[in-house]
Formats: sequence, C-alpha cells, structure tokens
Amino acid sequence: MLLRNVFTKTVRDLRWPTFWVSLGCGVMTAYFAILFPTYSKLFDLNAMLEKMGPAVKLLGASLGDASTLIGFLHIELFSMILPAAMVAFAAGMASGFTAGEESRGTIDVLLSYPVSRSRVVLEKWLAIVLACIVAAVVLWAFALTGAAISASALPPDRLGAALVMLVLLGLAFADIALAISAFSGNRGAAIGVTVALMVAMYLIDALSSIVDGLGTIRPLSLFRYYMGGDPLRNGLNLGDAAVLAAVVAVFLAIAVVAFERRDLAA
Amino acid sequence: MTAAIETRNLTKRYGHSRGIIEVDLVVETGQIFGFLGPNGAGKSTLIRLLLDLIRPTSGGASVLGLDVRRDRLAIDRRTSYVPGELSLYSDLTGRQLLTYLGNLQGQVDAAYRESLIERLELDPTKRIKSLSRGNKQKVGLVAAFMIRPELLILDEATAGLDPFIQLEFEHLCEEARDEGRTVFISSHQLPEVEHLCDRVGIIREGRLLAVETIAGLKERALRRIEIDFIGAVDAEAFANLPGVSDLIVRDGTLRCTVMGSVDALIKAAAHFEVRNIRSVDTSLEEIFMAYYGSGEAADKSAAGEASHAAA
Repeated sequence: MLLRNVFTKTVRDLRWPTFWVSLGCGVMTAYFAILFPTYSKLFDLNAMLEKMGPAVKLLGASLGDASTLIGFLHIELFSMILPAAMVAFAAGMASGFTAGEESRGTIDVLLSYPVSRSRVVLEKWLAIVLACIVAAVVLWAFALTGAAISASALPPDRLGAALVMLVLLGLAFADIALAISAFSGNRGAAIGVTVALMVAMYLIDALSSIVDGLGTIRPLSLFRYYMGGDPLRNGLNLGDAAVLAAVVAVFLAIAVVAFERRDLAA
Repeated sequence: MTAAIETRNLTKRYGHSRGIIEVDLVVETGQIFGFLGPNGAGKSTLIRLLLDLIRPTSGGASVLGLDVRRDRLAIDRRTSYVPGELSLYSDLTGRQLLTYLGNLQGQVDAAYRESLIERLELDPTKRIKSLSRGNKQKVGLVAAFMIRPELLILDEATAGLDPFIQLEFEHLCEEARDEGRTVFISSHQLPEVEHLCDRVGIIREGRLLAVETIAGLKERALRRIEIDFIGAVDAEAFANLPGVSDLIVRDGTLRCTVMGSVDALIKAAAHFEVRNIRSVDTSLEEIFMAYYGSGEAADKSAAGEASHAAA
C-alpha cells in the first residue's frame, strides 16, 4: 500500500524518523508539563529569570512568563529546543529528497518511469508536510496529557497555534534545504547552508532585543515570525503565519523549477 | 515507419572533457541494436540524453517518434531502461521494488512478471542490499521487461550475469524483437553482443563512427593469412595486391593481412607450389579496434584517458 506512488513511498521512508522525532518531542513536552507544578513550587521561576537577565534573553526567553505552564513551555521548549528539533528533522529529511536519490543513482531509474521531475519534488514535499503535522499532533496530545496529569492549565487552541507556527517554521527551512539540494544536487551543502541560516536567524531574533541595530534586520529572521506574535498567549497571528507560508511556497517553487531545469548527476 | 530512436546533430559538451558531438543516429524498430564504444566514449551520455536526465547543448532527439523533451511521460510509458551501475532502493525486497515500479508504470501483467522472475531465477524475497551485483541486475531486467516496453534501453546492463542467465536474457531480447519491439543495448565489449545484435553503432570520443550490420562489419574483417610454399617464391609477385598489407616473405613462408576478399592473394599464390594455408580470422574486437582510428599509440593513450575519465 505504501508503494503506490512517490508520495506514499516517501512516507514509508520517513516513517521511522517521524516516529522517533514525534515520540522524543512528545515525551519531552509531557515531561515538562507533568513536572511543572513541582518546579514552580520549588522555585520562583520568574525571579530566577529576572536575575539571569541578558543571559536568558540570549536563549530567547525574553517574552516568557514562567509562572504558568504555557509560559514555562515557551521558555523551556518552544523558544529553542522544539524549533531546533523540528528544523533539523524537516530540513535534514528534505535535503536528501532529490540529492540523496541523485547521489545513490536511484533518480535515473525513478525518472525513467512516467513520473515528471516536478511531481517527484511535490510528492516528496507532501510527505514531509504530513510528517511534520504528525509530529505536531503527537506533541500536542502528549503535552495535553501531561498537563492533565499535573492538573495544570494548558489551552489546547493556544498550544495548537504555537504548533502550527512550529510546523510552518520547520517547513520553511525544509523548503530552503530542498531548494538548495534541487539546485545543487549536493545534500551536504543543503544541510550545511540551512543549519547555518537557522543559527544566524535565531541569533538575530534572540539578540535583537538587547543589541542595538539588530532590530532593523530582525524582519529577515524567520524566528521573528515564528514566536514574535506569542501564539501561546495570543493565539494564531495570521500575518506571521502568512509570511512563513509564503516562504514555504516560494522555496518550494524554486526547488521545482531548479530541479526541472538541471542536468542530473550520473 | 517511425524510428525507435532518432538523434539529429545531438551534441552535449561538458567543458573540455567527454560528451557527444553531432551524433546522427537512427535505430529502426523491431531490431536489437548494439551501441558500442570504449569506456568514456559517450554511450551513457547519449542514453541519458534520450532519457532527458541531461539536456543537449544542441541538436535534438526523438524516441518512438516523440520528442525526448516535450513528450517525456508518453515516452516513459512505452520504454524502459536499465543502467549499468544499477542503483535501486536498497531497503526494499525485490518484490517490493517490482511492486513500486509497477505502480509507477501503471498496468503490469502479473503473470508475465512472475514468469520473468522464474526465468531469470530471481529470489524476490531478498532485500536489494543483500543481493550481489548480478542479482541486482536481474531485478532491473525483470522491472524492464515486465512492462513489455516498445523500446528497451540497456546500458551495459548484462555485466555480472552468469552465463546461463545471460543466455536467458538473450532469449528475452530476441522475443522482444520477434514481437516487433526494439532493444537498444550499449556495451564496451563486442563479444558480449555480437551474436545478439542485428546492427551496431560504434562511438568513439563522442563521435558516431559507423552504423553497420554485423555481417557488414565482418565483410570488412581483417584476416591474417600465412602461406607455406614448397621452394622459393618471389615476393614481388605479391606486391600491390588489392587489400593486402603487412606483407612479409621469408624462408618460404608468406605472412600478410588481408582486408575483404582473399581472391587476389589466392590467385597469386596459385602460381607457386603451396604446402599449407593458415587463415586467422580476426575477431570483431579487432575490427572494432580498427574503427578506433589510425595511430595506435595515440589511440591507446586516448583510451586510457577516457577510461580514467569514466572512473
């Protein structure tokens, strides 16, 4: 059944990575949700954050309010660990979609069947979309379960809004990696450039509140749109979501066109 | 009748190195066509152009009357391809891979597929990664033949097959031809394909040198002839005979090379008393090498460079 077409075959290829990423992120989130009441009883987290000051701001926690579970999750997970995990997963997988088939030589056989190059890119892309959504849904369920166990308040819609942004951020970087790999046929370059870009964008966003001058280039960072509107507190910001969705669409289009036009590696 | 393959002035340049230059090749339908040349001559380049995996610098090509660029999917539905360095999804079993490729193709005659698996003695339950090169090649051949393509493109596809499977493969090619389908098979080793092919094209350093029938190639065969005479012979009597070269007469024995008919040589020899005649048929390999141009030394170094480039 999973060998029906390129989309289902890619879903099949992604099933174990998706399983482990979903489980890992889910368990980690549940762990924080379950232990949150213990933490907040033991420590006055906000006072601690205040004392740490700029050091914590570096970690992207400038917006956090650690006295609620949702603020706690924002600081502990959504500001750095989850986006890093999601981007690493999505971009890592996407970088190998065309470049991996090229370097292994399987693309020659695949394209000798009645499947167009654009179709190969689009169907593989759909599979990574599905994988990211699955990971987000699993994470959502684990987080809510954890919150229920610790009897902490965690609004499902706010959590959902943050996860939508997380998926969009993951897909934006995945598409950048996909476009580089479709253009160059080089998986290493795709991963390297994408990770470097992610780190640079993360630092621009995190440092812009404490370093003068970075504010002007902050709109260039995708992280500005990812948590800039604080979806965990305010719900989905459609403008921010639209910017990330546009990045996803543009780089997907670049990937399709680049792969369509190029001589493929022997 | 539409040609199975037709290239027009097809050129692909890669900077300074190999590629193909202004190739005009026509392969008629219903034949087994051998595409011969040393490693690095441009065989795979031409095939990858036909498959639209790479794009020509200039010129164009059509397959089954369809443009290789514009009508890609229509061509893919009616052709199949087995590369020499066959790479398959190694985590799948043979049967899973055949299922996947069959689904990409559309309709596959399952009974015919099973008969191919049996004839090529493929174990379809093993994962591709655990298969030897020859067994991987069998998976590729089953995948290629199972859709009964109108044109099969096989790029050095028989390397690594054991002799029995090689024979079965040849039967499959002949069956395809007898049904009016076309087989295009590239090789750098003439003996592998000489008894199989109806016609061959010879490519060297990117240029198509000749397209001939095997019989035509043989007509141009070079023969080494040695004649032992009783008594003295006059070397002058054999000078300037048509087709005769490398003439040496010593100790009552004549040695020479003859291209084409030996008639003139035999008639000249008949003036003397002949003890014995030995004729060494040159293999097609030598004819093949003869096409690789004059200046053997330059040739060898060029072939060396070409194989380095391929490696």
